[in-house]
Amino acid sequence: MKGRTWQAIVALVVICSLTSTPFGVAADQCRTCHEALGDKPSTLFKRDIHSQKGVSCADCHGGVASAEDMERAMDKSKGFIGVPKGDAVSEVCAKCHGDAKRMAQFRSMIPIGQFKALQTSVHGRLSTTGKERIVQCTTCHNAHGIVQVADPASPVYPLNVVKTCTKCHADAAFMQKYNPSLSVDQLEKYRTSVHGMRNAKGDPKTAECASCHGSHEILPAADVRSRAYPTNLPGTCAHCHADAGYMKAYGIPTDQFEKFSKSVHGVALLEKHDLGAPACNKCHGNHGATPPGVESISKVCGSCHALNADLFSSSPHKKAFDERKLPECETCHGKHEIIAATDKLLGNSQEAVCSRCHSERERAKGYQVAGTMRSLIDSLELLERKAQLLVSDAEQKGMEISEARFKLRDVRQARLEARTKVHSFNEGQFREVVAKGFATALVVGEEGQQAIDEYYFRRLGLGVATLIITIVAISLYMFIRRIERSAVHKQTSI
Amino acid sequence: MSSILKKTYEWIDKRVQLETLVEFMGKKYVPVHRHSIWYYFGGVSLFLFIIQVVTGILLLLYYKGSEQLAFESIQFIMSKVQFGWLIRSIHSWAANLFILSAFIHMFSVFFERSYREPREITWITGMFMLFLGMGFGFSGYLLPWNELAFFATKVGTDIAGVLPFVGKPIMVFLRGGDEVTGATLSRFFGFHVAVLPGIFTVLLSIHLVLVQRQGMSEPMGMEDVPASERKTMPFFPNFLLRDLLFWLIVLNVLAILAVFFPWELGKKADAFASAPAGIRPEWYFMFMFQTLKFIPAKVLFIDGEVLGVLLFGAAGLLWMIVPFWDRKSSRGEKSRLINYVGLFVVVYIIIFTTLGYVL
Repeated sequence: MKGRTWQAIVALVVICSLTSTPFGVAADQCRTCHEALGDKPSTLFKRDIHSQKGVSCADCHGGVASAEDMERAMDKSKGFIGVPKGDAVSEVCAKCHGDAKRMAQFRSMIPIGQFKALQTSVHGRLSTTGKERIVQCTTCHNAHGIVQVADPASPVYPLNVVKTCTKCHADAAFMQKYNPSLSVDQLEKYRTSVHGMRNAKGDPKTAECASCHGSHEILPAADVRSRAYPTNLPGTCAHCHADAGYMKAYGIPTDQFEKFSKSVHGVALLEKHDLGAPACNKCHGNHGATPPGVESISKVCGSCHALNADLFSSSPHKKAFDERKLPECETCHGKHEIIAATDKLLGNSQEAVCSRCHSERERAKGYQVAGTMRSLIDSLELLERKAQLLVSDAEQKGMEISEARFKLRDVRQARLEARTKVHSFNEGQFREVVAKGFATALVVGEEGQQAIDEYYFRRLGLGVATLIITIVAISLYMFIRRIERSAVHKQTSI
Repeated sequence: MSSILKKTYEWIDKRVQLETLVEFMGKKYVPVHRHSIWYYFGGVSLFLFIIQVVTGILLLLYYKGSEQLAFESIQFIMSKVQFGWLIRSIHSWAANLFILSAFIHMFSVFFERSYREPREITWITGMFMLFLGMGFGFSGYLLPWNELAFFATKVGTDIAGVLPFVGKPIMVFLRGGDEVTGATLSRFFGFHVAVLPGIFTVLLSIHLVLVQRQGMSEPMGMEDVPASERKTMPFFPNFLLRDLLFWLIVLNVLAILAVFFPWELGKKADAFASAPAGIRPEWYFMFMFQTLKFIPAKVLFIDGEVLGVLLFGAAGLLWMIVPFWDRKSSRGEKSRLINYVGLFVVVYIIIFTTLGYVL
């Protein structure tokens, strides 16, 4: 190995002495010698954007570019650093890319905060060696053959990004060291998705890794600042999907985000920051993003609304919907625009969804069952409200009625259960649940009324007791006066 | 009917010589003057104490002094037990009225200098009973095991813990450990229904026997009034009936308070919950609590809280031994200093209690 190094140095010295002219030295002696040697870095550097912009080898590696003598050219006292190692790699890049003035000299529009963003990103954490950060600029951009991002040859060109990222992210042994819980099959999944398939076909506009996760500033998906964090994800998807101009070529609607934001899921997630509410990926998938089809939509909704989905699957509606190729949940509830399901959806009135298919003439059985269910659930709600009013009234009067207040939860629970049971479309099952609610609501109402009656009884009792005590006190007072007067009378008569 | 009563009286008289007692009572007179009204507050305090004993025993029939059941048992008393709500409400209101009445009684005795010779023991037993009454309040406050009581007890016992040398052991003794837990509740329950009533009964007996033996104290200067000009009233039946009249009025007030302002139960204590806003002690501890809040964290080299507790301790001790350092009153001379001290204490308590609720 040592012998080979010496041979290379001797060759370099000979080449350098042969290429020097008696009238002066070449402008960049580093390139002159290294290109003559035919080494890979100098060959690649020829087409490097930096080379085109006039950046010399010495700008990154230090030393004296104009020096003909190799010793002088690579003089450490003149700032020669050789091949930078570890964090020094990114620091060398940041010398220009983090300096607005220098970047302006090259008329560059590239943002100057990339190095800082990289340092604070998940990739900026310390590697297992403990000496350097996990990722350096060159990890993704390469070192000497760097081309512009828009150049299809760039490793960060949209069609190449996936390959660049999976260099590490598909390497189980490597990922084991940093995030063992992160799956390494994202690429396979991605290739099954609409995004992945289009990307593979050469469409640079479809989403790739950086579109959703960002580039230099990538954060773990669990970080609240990450673009992939549940509350940020709809905005990330909407970046492309809500852009009518961008999506024009694909012929799909661009109002999903607007609808979702107003939906029960959107309000819960985006306004109430309820992480239990679904973001886009909960229904469409992450890396394997695919729109759910008619057959799978109930399975997607059912992953959270399991009971409703179960009941629906064993209901008579299942067969009817399948025959008509109607999407199960979506037909009544909608998709992106799903609003909070109220009892108004049920019944045989104009606004009820049941009346879209059932009428007095067509499918009359369903029309009648829907009407009965609606009137039962309305009655339960009315009874619950009445019981609630009585309990609140009793509480306001200072009565101890916490047990009844607790039972009220059972009434509410029964009403919620009844709402779920609607999906069985079975009147018998529905009646059973509602009856439980009716019975509890009646008991609570009775207890509330009793507490209020007791309150007035106490008032009456107090009135009577006060009256008796007052009469006794007055009588006592009169008696005292009488005995004291008679005592005075006796004294005066003595 | 009257012959049966007479026979019963004679039967008892033969065995315990009731005649002597009746004779003693017949000869007992109570001075009548423009400050006579204050005499009744001792009786009112006694009446409220009796109410506490009776309602306390009734509550004991259903109360369960454990961490798991205390809150629920009070809930049960208030919602299921016949008139349980009334008994609990009266017990809570009477406790507060008792402390108020005892305070009025104490200050009236102080300003009248009734503690002067030969009534030093009566004063000291009275003072001990007032402290015990506050102890009753502090221990009883925790028994419903609700959120406010839990955290107030935590703060209260923390304050006891700041005393140098003895503070920590006292705190651990009161809590039954380092923290306020179910052990504290069991302990406080024991203090409230056994230890404190036992000591209180002994002190009350001494106090009442002394009042009966020594009679009511007359205001300063009455000795100079000629005997023929001094007004008195027979203790039996005149004073006793007037006492009874006061008791009836207090009973009426108590009933109105209990019905119109039933004592709330709040939320069950949860040691893991964060302390609720507005934790404050019972009103009769408020002036001390507020003072401790005002004292800076460090005064010279002493911790502010320690200084406050020591100052209150010293002030309480001085107040209790007033019969021994106020020699002027014992000699029958007027002492302005006592008036100033008393007025300062009254004004201080009123201002700091008010600040405690306003700030």
